[in-house]
Amino acid sequence: MKIKKLDSFMQGVFLISALISVMAIILIGIFVFGGGIPFIAEYGLSNFLLGEKWTPSNTPAAFGILPMIIGSVTVTLGAIVIGVPVGVLTAVFMAEFCPTKLYKVLKPAVNLMAAIPSIVYGFFALQLIVPFMRRLFGGTGMNMLTVILLLGIMILPTIIGMSESAIRAVPKSYYSGSLALGASHERSIMKVSLPAAKSGVLSSVILGIGRAIGETMAVVLVAGNQPRIPDSLTQGVRTLTTNIVLEMSYATGQHREALIATAVVLFGFILVINGIFLLIKRKEAIR
Amino acid sequence: MHIKKSSKVLMALGMALFLAACGNSSSDATGSSLTEGEFDLTQPIHVISREDGSGTRGAFTEITKVLEKDADGNEIDATYMEAAIQNSTDGVMTSVAGDATSIGYISLGSVNDTIKALKIEGVHPTPETIKDNSYAIARPFNLVYKDKLSKEAQDFWDFIFSQQGQEMVVKEGYIEADDQAVIYTASENLDGKVSIVGSTSVTSVMEVLAEEYQALNPNVTIDITSNGSSAGITAATDGTADIGMASRELKEEEKEVLTVSVLAMDGIAVIVNKENTTDELTMEQVKAIFTGEQLIWQE
Repeated sequence: MKIKKLDSFMQGVFLISALISVMAIILIGIFVFGGGIPFIAEYGLSNFLLGEKWTPSNTPAAFGILPMIIGSVTVTLGAIVIGVPVGVLTAVFMAEFCPTKLYKVLKPAVNLMAAIPSIVYGFFALQLIVPFMRRLFGGTGMNMLTVILLLGIMILPTIIGMSESAIRAVPKSYYSGSLALGASHERSIMKVSLPAAKSGVLSSVILGIGRAIGETMAVVLVAGNQPRIPDSLTQGVRTLTTNIVLEMSYATGQHREALIATAVVLFGFILVINGIFLLIKRKEAIR
Repeated sequence: MHIKKSSKVLMALGMALFLAACGNSSSDATGSSLTEGEFDLTQPIHVISREDGSGTRGAFTEITKVLEKDADGNEIDATYMEAAIQNSTDGVMTSVAGDATSIGYISLGSVNDTIKALKIEGVHPTPETIKDNSYAIARPFNLVYKDKLSKEAQDFWDFIFSQQGQEMVVKEGYIEADDQAVIYTASENLDGKVSIVGSTSVTSVMEVLAEEYQALNPNVTIDITSNGSSAGITAATDGTADIGMASRELKEEEKEVLTVSVLAMDGIAVIVNKENTTDELTMEQVKAIFTGEQLIWQE
């Protein structure tokens, strides 16, 4: 009897714990959408999403976030171009080629990369990548390439970690079967094991995208933050996240609502990305 | 075994490349900072500005006329679109200190020797030149209240404008508004709460003042909220705060309902890298640079 009571009590505790996180996400949703949707309705969705001018201190003010949407999407794609090949190949190396001694160093190093606060990455980029870019292309050195390089590095731990476990989860029989058919070690891994881990690798890429598009503190230091559509990779850029963090502290009235509405758009992006992630996971589960 | 070896070779190669790259960049860095002779005035100017909504940017664009007003009451902030945006005084200073051809602006109280403050219209920004109005880019830190102050708020107000209060303002790097203030003495045992709302720029000095005041009057709680000049004025107007703080001039309609007093003056220094040989700019040049009309150094 006593045990039963304790049982149901603990069940309640677990239920409440689970509810807290669900409640948190619901509250965030209510706050962000509640704060942003009225502004979008008033200002006009297409004016807001497709407007090319962001000039909150003008009268009348303009709140177009197209430059920031383009900025966010471009730097994220760029980060993927740099981060995915490096990350996936590192994962293959760590799962299949790495000598045990080296692995003991490499694995904690990758885990440490994930734990470094993003502002530290920002300072690293400000001290190293920015002066390098300045010498290479002139200008302030705060340009899209700098951000892409930085984000490419920052998404590595996400991609490496998930891809590695996906590759390790592939049944050993696939690999030994391929060997038995006469394929070499490298060929078996690249043509059999890696393709079999495809959906796990793809998930890691999508989480990498999520991380890149949501990154704020590191990017704000090195992006230049000009609110206009960049013509080339060597120009500065402002992303959705940096737009919010730059101006939130002083914004009032409509300006503040516009920033919350920016968060709505960002939230939308993240929902889409996570939706795709879930779809891939489900496909994998069915298989 | 064979594979192990090749991977090690690869590693070594990678390491070598990495080290070589490091070596390169560091030698380049010393090379550029050791350029002999004159600063190259044909270099493009890198403009660094603050973010929209910042009090410093608001005051700077207004004084230098970068903020253009037309007859219909429309205001256009014409800050150069290519200007890099930093959202803190430190960010602007780091950028300017690290880039020989950049220009930015910060509060005079924050100027240090990592960067160089320019003369404007031939006048060097110092507390003296701001007090006698010869340095053009200066803004007041205003305190406002509506109708009447409560007993506690009035006492704190007296403290701020007393000799002790004004001395602390100077110590924080600003310029006192009144150099013939009287000495404050803590009066009878006051007990209550004073709420102060407004500009983030004024907050730092206000916090120091409040701390000192609370040491003298331990029963008074001073509650400071820092959320921008306009918010401070609104709060004082509708009575949600005892005192509002603003780091800009008040508009005419605001002056009608509020009592204003200048707490301190703050200069905005136009700063460049120390390698830059430029010493002085006119107001027209400052405007031209920050609106992107003048793109290279050379007067």
